[in-house]
Amino acid sequence: MDDWKPSSLIKPFGARKKRSWYLTWKYILTNQRALRRFCQTGAVLFLLVTVIVNIKLILDTRRAISEANGDSEAEQDYDEALGRLEPSRRRGSGPRRVLDVEVYSSRSKVYVAVDGTTVLEDEAREQGRGIHVIVLNQATGHVMAKRVFDTYSPHEDEAMVLFLNMVAPGRVLICTVKDEGSFHLKDTAKALLRSLGSQAGPALGWRDTWAFVGRKGGPVLGEKHSKSPALSSWGDPVLLKTDVPLSSAEEAECHWADTELNRRRRRFCSKVEGYGSVCSCKDPTPIEFSPDPLPDNKVLNVPVAVIAGNRPNYLYRMLRSLLSAQGVSPQMITVFIDGYYEEPMDVVALFGLRGIQHTPISIKNARVSQHYKASLTATFNLFPEARFAVVLEEDLDIAVDFFSFLSQSIHLLEEDDSLYCISAWNDQGYEHTAEDPALLYRVETMPGLGWVLRKSLYKEELEPKWPTPEKLWDWDMWMRMPEQRRGRECIIPDVSRSYHFGIVGLNMNGYFHEAYFKKHKFNTVPGVQLRNVDSLKKEAYEAEIHRLLSEAEVLDHSKNPCEDSFLPDTEGHTYVAFIRMEKDDDFVTWTQLAKCLHIWDLDVRGNHRGLWRLFRKKNHFLVVGVPASPYSVKKPPSITPIFLEPPPKEEGAPGAAEQT
Amino acid sequence: MSRINKNVILALLTLTSSAFLLFQLYYYKHYLSAKNGAGVSKSKGSQIGFDSTQWRAVKKFIMLTSSQNVPVFLIDPLILELINKDFEQVKNTSHGSTSECKFFCVPRDFTAFALRYHLWKNEEGWFRIAENMGFQCLKIESKDPRLDGIDSLSGTEIPLHYICRLANHAIHLVVFHERSGNYLWHGHLRLKGRMDRKFVPFRKLQFGRYPGAFDRPELQQITVDGLEVLIPKDPVHFLEEIPHSRFIECRYKEARAFFQQYLDDNTVEAMAFRKSAKELLQLAARTLKKLGVRFWLSSGTCLGWYRQCNIIPYSKDVDLGIFIQDYKSDIISAFQDVGLPLKHKFGKVEDSLELSFQGKDDVKLDIFFFYEETDHMWNGGTQAKTGKKFKYLFPKFTLCWTEFVDMKIHVPCETIDYIEANYGKTWKIPVKTWDWKRSPPNVRPNGVWSISEWDEVIQLY
Repeated sequence: MDDWKPSSLIKPFGARKKRSWYLTWKYILTNQRALRRFCQTGAVLFLLVTVIVNIKLILDTRRAISEANGDSEAEQDYDEALGRLEPSRRRGSGPRRVLDVEVYSSRSKVYVAVDGTTVLEDEAREQGRGIHVIVLNQATGHVMAKRVFDTYSPHEDEAMVLFLNMVAPGRVLICTVKDEGSFHLKDTAKALLRSLGSQAGPALGWRDTWAFVGRKGGPVLGEKHSKSPALSSWGDPVLLKTDVPLSSAEEAECHWADTELNRRRRRFCSKVEGYGSVCSCKDPTPIEFSPDPLPDNKVLNVPVAVIAGNRPNYLYRMLRSLLSAQGVSPQMITVFIDGYYEEPMDVVALFGLRGIQHTPISIKNARVSQHYKASLTATFNLFPEARFAVVLEEDLDIAVDFFSFLSQSIHLLEEDDSLYCISAWNDQGYEHTAEDPALLYRVETMPGLGWVLRKSLYKEELEPKWPTPEKLWDWDMWMRMPEQRRGRECIIPDVSRSYHFGIVGLNMNGYFHEAYFKKHKFNTVPGVQLRNVDSLKKEAYEAEIHRLLSEAEVLDHSKNPCEDSFLPDTEGHTYVAFIRMEKDDDFVTWTQLAKCLHIWDLDVRGNHRGLWRLFRKKNHFLVVGVPASPYSVKKPPSITPIFLEPPPKEEGAPGAAEQT
Repeated sequence: MSRINKNVILALLTLTSSAFLLFQLYYYKHYLSAKNGAGVSKSKGSQIGFDSTQWRAVKKFIMLTSSQNVPVFLIDPLILELINKDFEQVKNTSHGSTSECKFFCVPRDFTAFALRYHLWKNEEGWFRIAENMGFQCLKIESKDPRLDGIDSLSGTEIPLHYICRLANHAIHLVVFHERSGNYLWHGHLRLKGRMDRKFVPFRKLQFGRYPGAFDRPELQQITVDGLEVLIPKDPVHFLEEIPHSRFIECRYKEARAFFQQYLDDNTVEAMAFRKSAKELLQLAARTLKKLGVRFWLSSGTCLGWYRQCNIIPYSKDVDLGIFIQDYKSDIISAFQDVGLPLKHKFGKVEDSLELSFQGKDDVKLDIFFFYEETDHMWNGGTQAKTGKKFKYLFPKFTLCWTEFVDMKIHVPCETIDYIEANYGKTWKIPVKTWDWKRSPPNVRPNGVWSISEWDEVIQLY
């Protein structure tokens, strides 16, 4: 009943003040009886009103109090429950202030142990050569990043510099050399090691062993080095034991404004390292992009499945580009991670997306294939209303108009049964062979790398007979098989809407990437209006091809098609060349032509009934296989189809020719 | 002196009481406005009952959901019932003209809303804002059953229920998820170890005792007690669904174990059969639903669902059960209209009725009608050659929803009893030769049809 207190205070105060008033009024009033009576009745009435208001107030307050009591009782219950929880939480977080770190470097083995827990151990043969780098959180001692840079090989030191520069100041850095780490360790990298305070790092020599613990931007906490005595031998193994003092959590964290986004950022940045400015304290790079919405977006409600493995840095780059694409709807995205890897999950959580992990089944390509199946099934289960799904991989950049491209073309997949997929990737769309972002093709091969799958195709045809784990097949090779494709075609753009940047992968290496993927053309123009989309339907497309061929100027077939001068130095013309192609599966000449044009030649891609379409020197260039192609009828009788001899057989063929 | 004293006392009294009165008036006004929340205009002094905690909690909740774009609709059975009784009036009432709080002020512990999860875009910040508004919220999460059917996927958990308490009223927000088969699903409200069991009287909740399945309702916006809410367009249908909404998930884990032991039949024929059986089942389900006839998976189809979450490829037919009280004479013509001619008809409505329709690709649709006795159910069988009658006995059962071949469909809730009655304890072992007259453990001879009846009770086409 606190509320009543002020009134009891007012009483004496008011009374005292009014007493002097009374003294002056006394004489006037005593002489005027009537007036006094009047005042008296007035006062009594006043009192009555007060009483009534009082009663109402008391009743109301009572009710309010009983409610409030109910509330506070309930709250107490809840608090008790919380109270019971809290002590245990506190008990767990009594942190040690010093970490005890062991680092070992030798020819055949490296290991790092933090407080007795091995966080890195590598004694495999023929593997893990170079400088191993581990980043620890300076407040918790958790491993935030683990990398190995094979600085025996070229360019790896550049990657190391890039990585070390991205690490936030204050983090604990641990370096150790396995086997050899100096051969391609260039000056920039050595200078960086010097700036970290390392003595031996900058002077690292052939087959030296080296172990280093230091704080980024801070003091060196320990270093050991052993020189190799001779070219043919290694330095002695070194074991560095050192204490690393932990700093407080506040020091280790940035002071970002307390928003939902920054909470995600903080969670991410306290766990992992090596993502650059996303974790920088000043002016961190955004993690929400809000690209322009797409007017009349036909793919707003199409689920997007991102197929990922354990390449979190790739996934990070991929998701950034995906979330920046116009017309993206983040709640439709699901990232499927093949395996119980934490870091890719952290990346997914950073962007506030849905991530699903997949227990690995089978091995190698079959594992990828099972992962695809589970991911596709899950996608259609999670979005039962969807008629399509967009399938992406973690090593793709997504063009800014990716969804615009799909929005303009997706109706084809509904209206034309002879279509198998829509893909954002043109296998033959290299810098020098693709030109027109508004142009679409029909092709008999399934390119993958960012594509749309029809639910009915998946549910009714593919899912029931998807290769079982023991079959060790590539999913994409399987999908390209005639039993599955059944003569259907895919729609592709001339200029790809995805870019394949991955250089490490199951069937991928630096050389392969350089040769086949690096020079791929990638559309960067937003909002491209596709031209004449309905002409991509089966019959309309045939009419279009016939029109094109009738218009096309026939090239001089006596020239060598590999020579640059095979095409005249014009712009905007359409040219046609006829090559020999005896049967539907005779690609001898085409393969040679593809080879000398520096386009995809590892298997046949991008064909439509014996016709290939590409650009050369800004001219549309058509290649027709004679006599297998039905378009052979357009060949003037005087022209002899070009035949290119395959080189004599000595095939040390470069492995699998596929792209996952 | 006494006179002066009297006057002094009187004046003092007057002054004190007036000061007192002023204070009280001020306080009372203050108290009133605090109680009714910011949004209530003081001019509506004539409104009755709008100060109830229930109404205030609902109002705050609706403010929260509309400002945060949380796609919710009202599913509270008590309130929907009241609205339904007064439907015409509620529909005609425009915003603000209500003078009496008739619906949301009814005393109760909870108000239930449904959340359409797939339309929800900003899941993240919502919780915090609710708590800032004075709600105390509890979130119940679980793994996503839509991923259960797939080997070895583990997703992030999905929210199933939110319970938000304001004063002594709580909002129960049931999260509805889209499932394959064009229906909405909500999960089981299961309290985990560390949750506060006294947070609200959980036993009184209307939803969450079991998982549930509902047809996706069309919604409409109405104004109830001055609050704008979405409710199902057909509240009667929704209310009817509630008591029978219990959903059981297929036993995916056991099914996987089964396939590990016996291997799936992936031959072309098996796949073709599964495809046509699935299409037949979907067609039959559509047809019966249109007629408004309840049915469930029976015999081999039920066993396939329970044991392997799929159609048994060598079963050769699709089996459905229907309670005889749900029988409608136009079932046969309805099936004929969709291209399923009657193959045979045994028995009659009063006794042992059984219909069989011819589907595409030689797949047969068998419909068994179930008769209820005091302590058991049964359906009949007839041998065409001899006119012998059989009876298949089942323990009593109720119907639950499940998902099968991309459909929401009924199965007996007490599935294991049903299957064991029909196939015995060894139902887990696949048997390819099955004699429907001898093999089932629940078959009983039931006399012979008299010859005079044969024309009626044995019809072959």
